[in-house]
Amino acid sequence: MSNENINVALIGNPNVGKTSVFNALTGLNQQVGNYPGITVEKKVGFCKLPNHAKANILDLPGTYSLNASSMDENVVIELLLNKNDKLFPDVAVVVTDVENLKRNLLLFTQIKDLEIPVILAINMADRMAYKGISLDISHLEEQLNTKIALISTRKKQGIEELKQLIMSYKNLSTEPCLNASSMDPDYFGGLRKTFPNELVYKLWLVITQDVNFRGIEKKEILSEHRKSDSELKRMQQKETIKRYQFINDVLKVGQTIDKESARDFGTKLDRILTHKVWGYAIFFGILFLIFQSIFSWSEVPMDLIDSAFGWMSTAVQEHMPPGVLTDLISQGIIPGIGGIVIFIPQIAFLFLFISVLEESGYMSRVVFLMDKIMKRFGLSGKSVVPLISGVACAIPAIMATRNIENWKERLITILVTPFTTCSARLPVYTIIISLVIPDERVLGFLNIRGLMLMALYAAGFLMAIFAAYIFNKILKVTSKTYFVVEMPNYKLPLLRNVGINVVEKTKAFVVGAGKIILAISIVLWFLASYGPGDDFNNADKIVTAQISKSDAAVSQQELDGHIASYKLENSYLGIAGKVIEPVIKPLGYDWKIGIAVLSSFAAREVFVGTLATIYSVGETDEQDPIREKMAAERRPDGSKLFDLPTGISLLLFYAFAMQCASTLAIVKKETNSWKWPAIQFAIMSAVAYLAALTAYQFLQ
Amino acid sequence: MIQELIAFGILGVALLYLGRKFFYKKKKNNDNCGTDCGCG
Ligand SMILES: Nc1nc2c(ncn2[C@@H]2O[C@H](COP(=O)(O)OP(=O)(O)O)[C@@H](O)[C@H]2O)c(=O)[nH]1
Repeated sequence: MSNENINVALIGNPNVGKTSVFNALTGLNQQVGNYPGITVEKKVGFCKLPNHAKANILDLPGTYSLNASSMDENVVIELLLNKNDKLFPDVAVVVTDVENLKRNLLLFTQIKDLEIPVILAINMADRMAYKGISLDISHLEEQLNTKIALISTRKKQGIEELKQLIMSYKNLSTEPCLNASSMDPDYFGGLRKTFPNELVYKLWLVITQDVNFRGIEKKEILSEHRKSDSELKRMQQKETIKRYQFINDVLKVGQTIDKESARDFGTKLDRILTHKVWGYAIFFGILFLIFQSIFSWSEVPMDLIDSAFGWMSTAVQEHMPPGVLTDLISQGIIPGIGGIVIFIPQIAFLFLFISVLEESGYMSRVVFLMDKIMKRFGLSGKSVVPLISGVACAIPAIMATRNIENWKERLITILVTPFTTCSARLPVYTIIISLVIPDERVLGFLNIRGLMLMALYAAGFLMAIFAAYIFNKILKVTSKTYFVVEMPNYKLPLLRNVGINVVEKTKAFVVGAGKIILAISIVLWFLASYGPGDDFNNADKIVTAQISKSDAAVSQQELDGHIASYKLENSYLGIAGKVIEPVIKPLGYDWKIGIAVLSSFAAREVFVGTLATIYSVGETDEQDPIREKMAAERRPDGSKLFDLPTGISLLLFYAFAMQCASTLAIVKKETNSWKWPAIQFAIMSAVAYLAALTAYQFLQ
Repeated sequence: MIQELIAFGILGVALLYLGRKFFYKKKKNNDNCGTDCGCG
């Protein structure tokens, strides 16, 4: 060995300071080239060791694990699996960052399973005092079955010790530090029997990764030891969990983090932001500010959009030749598109705030803070983001569940998110509250209507949490958690990233939900504009005859209004409203409200528009014409239709019912099955019905 | 007449789109699912 160089491979996660270690070891003796045939950079350097020994240092691309997903990672695996490669290392140095040991050690345990000598280099030791970290090196060395060099390339500490360890690599143990094959002893036992000369972990890598390995083919192994792709995927996940469990156990004793003694700014900030009391106070304060801004800033653009679409409808009506198409465009398509566009300001503002919070690193603290509480309800700390986003719209919120690792927690989050009060409910709430709740103040300054609105938001959120609790109890879905709370450093959000995020989320809503809402508005328009039988087709004559019989003086405008309303009553949609009347009567609704509720199952924001059509609101000069008409609506016995019991019943129904076809479509997409949206629809509708029924019967 | 033709054409497209969206099942692996969700 004396005249042969020791081959050393530097391996590590990205950003652990591997390049810095490489530079510290090799100085200027470096060569940079490409791996044969591919563009991945290959860096080899030369290092003088004590006692005239020499080493070739190979800097491998940064990789998170041996589960290859990129070309970079493949390079690492292929080299480590091929003993005949002339670069095959005599010893591997796994470089880790002392602040991220837990995550970094995953790769270490995998390399260790390859049974080559491994040195663990823990870099950035200079940060330990700042962060209040201390390590029990001898415990770690014993548990991880390796030798450790605690280094700081910045302070040039520990490099000589590392060189010493490299030189005496023959003394290193090549035993793995944990027995990964215990997750399926039968299967791995079988592999061992068939290929007695090969490492089991190597075989496992060949099966699960698409790497070339001389002498053994993936097909050859699988032909004798069959596993389906999904079984293999499951086993890989099991493997990761097992490794993290092992690492957690080792670090519990081997690493102490004393936040109190940490001195850096980030840690001090963490101490406040994740504080048992202040943490929550600050979080809810920020939430409060966000909602205030979303609603007040969106008001102007929303009003603009509203009047712009109103203007377009009128323009089309006036300038196109009269006919079905003109009506469809002005009454179906333009309001349909308007109903989507109007939510853009709120959604964009919400995601602006959320991505600033995420980019700055604050969201990770919230996730950490909320995780304990949320776990009790079967949710994850990461469910906070979807539940908050749900206030704008459930669609981007449900897409935001993708980073929840645990499937059961993710599923529950998806199922309960639509309970949060989305902006489509707002117009319904506003009009009903203004009809049935008096405009008065309590305690001199609290507006009762405002309180009612807040109570509805709270009701939605509490119902989401309660439903999660129940789902957690009854759902029989097995899944394992390996929750690695990563606390990224605080940083100023990059404008570019925030911008991209806002545009993407908004686009997802407009494109995803928009097309469905538009298609449904078109279908609804047809159902409301066509009907079977003479009543519908001869509506003009029937209504004119009725009016002339009653001798009442009506303007042409009022007459048109009455005809439209009569037509609607006898349209397909109106007939459907009558059919369901027996079901909704106990809730205090008549068939007209029934139509509005029915059409709302496509998208709840059509409620007000449908009522406007039903109550035949013509072009009048009155302020708030729909509200006036609704307030004037009477039951057959002469009492007000929109009284307190009916109003509260409607509010509760809209708070809890799953009235959004687009959300159901997105749930189907995210869960890849019809089962979950069906369950969600059934449960939410049942809850809504029961709540509305109880409220009406109790208040009546 | 021509108006009716176009209008019903649009209705057809809308229905077709909804039908495809809701009832036409694509067998497609969803990368966003956990591997233990039984949906792969
Ligand atoms: N505080 C501290 N920072 C370090 C140390 N070594 C590297 N870094 C920093 O960590 C970052 C990543 O280093 P680099 O060598 O590029 O990591 P690589 O991606 O693993 O090659 C750089 O900003 C380095 O300045 C160290 O010992 N102490």
